[in-house]
Amino acid sequence: MDFPAFLKSLEDSGIARGVRSSLYYFPFLESVHVMALAVLFGTILVVDLRALGLASKQRPFTRMSAELLRFTWGAFIVSALTGSVMFMTNARVYAHNTSFQVKMVLLAIAGLNMAAFHLTAGRSAASWDRAPAAPRAGRITAATSIALWIAVIFAGRVIGFTTTGAQAKEAPTTTVNFDDFLSGGSAPDASAPAAAGSAPAAADHP
Amino acid sequence: MNSFAEWLSTTLPSVFIQTHEAWMIPVIQSLHITGIGIAVGSALMITLRLLGWVGTDQTLPDTQRRFGPWLSGALYLLLASGALLIVAEPVRELVTFSFWLKMSCVLAMVVIFAAFQASVRKHGVSWEQTLARRPGVRLAAMLTFVLWGCIIILGRLIAYDHIWGHLSPATKA
Repeated sequence: MDFPAFLKSLEDSGIARGVRSSLYYFPFLESVHVMALAVLFGTILVVDLRALGLASKQRPFTRMSAELLRFTWGAFIVSALTGSVMFMTNARVYAHNTSFQVKMVLLAIAGLNMAAFHLTAGRSAASWDRAPAAPRAGRITAATSIALWIAVIFAGRVIGFTTTGAQAKEAPTTTVNFDDFLSGGSAPDASAPAAAGSAPAAADHP
Repeated sequence: MNSFAEWLSTTLPSVFIQTHEAWMIPVIQSLHITGIGIAVGSALMITLRLLGWVGTDQTLPDTQRRFGPWLSGALYLLLASGALLIVAEPVRELVTFSFWLKMSCVLAMVVIFAAFQASVRKHGVSWEQTLARRPGVRLAAMLTFVLWGCIIILGRLIAYDHIWGHLSPATKA
């Protein structure tokens, strides 16, 4: 199966149809996605600031990261699941959305950055566990991590603004510019863009 | 409220954001979400410590001193970015059921954390041996997680206020 057909099959799946058929599922998925990313970003920030030596300097790094990593990974799984289901509801539009693509690249870089931390400062963590800050490599990756996750949040938010009212066409050229969106999307009556005939899931104001 | 919102939308700051809204609104909203991450993260650290699930190498007052300022700092960021979003789109924000219910939840959260902070200041480390062991206090701590969830859901629902049906003032307009 080629990629466009795969995306189409995601949109035709039972889950995607179910979410599109309801007024409530998509906002609920978005809300759970925000809750998960709040826990994800919040816990990452706590650990990164510790590694940078900007906060919690007197606490052992390994203990903090071990305790919080459970919450970070739990939140990551929840955001990945909710994000995947949202993606499925309008897969062809999201797959060709620049902000979505940027966000996925940023997530991949964040993963590599995390690996870089573990291979450098993470490996020697026992030696600086009670030091105020991580060695240089650890501080660089920690600062990079904070910047990347903030960028992920920004890119994610822009997806909603650039896909509102967009409906997948067989030719994957669908883009909705800001003018299209702003003409209908800013009113409290968020159902207006749905008139375009697209799925309610993708039609709402971001 | 409707006429106030409409008046606000004609003021200079509002018109300024509206003319640049293509980039300003996503940027302000992203700042708002970053603030939510900092607030939820800080509140999570304090509440999990209160429950004794995380960070027990640090006393509760120390945990409060470490994360309390981040929580209030995030609150100011949220108030500032939230106020800008209201100025930018007064009708979309203010003429909704979700917004006012969210503000009620935010107010409840602020009262809870202010009371907690004052109590920890007053009782110091003895807080953990006394109050933190009371089932009522532990239940209240766990309920703050639910309250955070409500605040986030209601914040998102501002964009979908019509799902409240007749409760939404937008549907009457």
